[in-house]
Amino acid sequence: MSETLVAIANHETASEAGIDFDRLYRDSRDDLYAYAAGLLRDRAAAEEVTAAAFERAYRKWSRFDPRRGSARAWLFGIARNAALDELRRRGRQAELAAEPADLETATAAESAEGSARRLTVAAGLAALAPRDRELVALKFFAGLSNAEIAAVMKISESNAGTRLHRVLDKLREACHAAA
Amino acid sequence: MQPLSDHELATELRALRPTPEPEFASELDARVAAGFADDDGRAGAFERLLAWLRPTRRRLLTASAAGAVAAVAIATVVIAPGGDEPTESNPSSSLGFLNLAEDAPPEAEIGAGATGEALVPRAQSAPSSPTGPYASQTRDREVERSATIFLRTDAGDVRRASADVFSAVSAVDGIVLSSSVEEGEGGGGNFELLVPSGKLGDALASFSEIAEVASREESTADVTARTVGLNERIEDARATVDSLLAQLATADSEDERAAAEAELRAERRRVAALRAQLSDLQRRTNFARVSLQIVTDDSGAPAGDDGSWGIGAALDDAGRILETAAAVALVGLAVLAPFALLALLAWLARRRWLTASRQRALG
Repeated sequence: MSETLVAIANHETASEAGIDFDRLYRDSRDDLYAYAAGLLRDRAAAEEVTAAAFERAYRKWSRFDPRRGSARAWLFGIARNAALDELRRRGRQAELAAEPADLETATAAESAEGSARRLTVAAGLAALAPRDRELVALKFFAGLSNAEIAAVMKISESNAGTRLHRVLDKLREACHAAA
Repeated sequence: MQPLSDHELATELRALRPTPEPEFASELDARVAAGFADDDGRAGAFERLLAWLRPTRRRLLTASAAGAVAAVAIATVVIAPGGDEPTESNPSSSLGFLNLAEDAPPEAEIGAGATGEALVPRAQSAPSSPTGPYASQTRDREVERSATIFLRTDAGDVRRASADVFSAVSAVDGIVLSSSVEEGEGGGGNFELLVPSGKLGDALASFSEIAEVASREESTADVTARTVGLNERIEDARATVDSLLAQLATADSEDERAAAEAELRAERRRVAALRAQLSDLQRRTNFARVSLQIVTDDSGAPAGDDGSWGIGAALDDAGRILETAAAVALVGLAVLAPFALLALLAWLARRRWLTASRQRALG
């Protein structure tokens, strides 16, 4: 019975949006997690935010309007709100005191394989302000286009491109300083 | 270390991309496949029920809204005053016409006439066993008749109805004493008519065909006694005049002649007055006075008082119910509007605060 109802619900939303939620999930799961982890710098929090975002999206799937943007941008908008709520709830600003080494550990492991430059970039990324780091996460971790970033952040596409360019300059300078 | 190019920087950043743990990924896959139903069984069932009801609910809402709009539209067109729907379509009007035009004479008012004669119902004006001082003249009784009729029509149809009234009066050789017609919302017409008594029935039947008959009353006054009395008094006065003329012819002195002439002038004035009264009485019996009013639905027309309840009355009742319901809804909206506005403002303020606090969370 429940499977039938879920199937009916999925079929209804898919027919309305012309997109299948399962497909959106498969295409976006890792990207969404990467964005959340890049912003929050906390694996547990990133997993929590990722699951919450997909659940909210699933509940709101019938309200998704393809004319207002891509499903991917819509999903990342939900995830962004969830991530910012998580930051707000914990009273911190993307700076984690409990598990700061998670990403760095992974990065260190990779650097140990021969990439000192990557370690430098990771350090520069960690030094960025959360607002800047979010842009990097959306662009290079989640793989969103400038138009999708603009839709997620509710800014213009040109503004998104400009801000991204400035963030890369900052990151480049931070890497140079770190080196 | 040389500054990184854009390409190198992008490559390094992509290489730093975090990946989910396999356990988390498989767990999330399972939750999505189950439609997040296992997280909260109660909420999941509710959501599934909502999802299942969604298409049905939409259809129901659409059908309900369409039905409500249609009902309001029909009620507005059919019942609302000033509508273009012809009143002939109202069955009550034609039924009322048939009842009034073809049935036995309607009830008449019982009261005192202007001349002091007793007004009696028509059924009593032709008694089967007449009594009284003039019972032998029952076949030539003098009866004064009058009628009042209210016609109900649409505001836009007053001109046509008024023209039909003039035509109907002309057809029975009647006379329009006065008329006033006002078109538009709240308009109507007033007509004071004289109709030959013998054609009063035909005239009323014609009037009833013009529009819906809202009400109709007829009254009769038997003025036979007054007519006979006037005739007798005139005969007496004439005899007196003849006698005075004889006295005048045989008068021996100037005093006698002057006295006879003065008495003769007074008696002749009396005869003239009596003849005028008789002439007025005959005119009133020869012509029935008809007061006709054309009323529109919103001009305070009297309701039909035949006691019947048909489709027309049902539509009227339905219109009143809809009107009342709309009034109640309006009052409810007026009461709820301030609270709704406050709730809207609170929602907007919370949303703005939430957006600002999220931005602050980014630093």
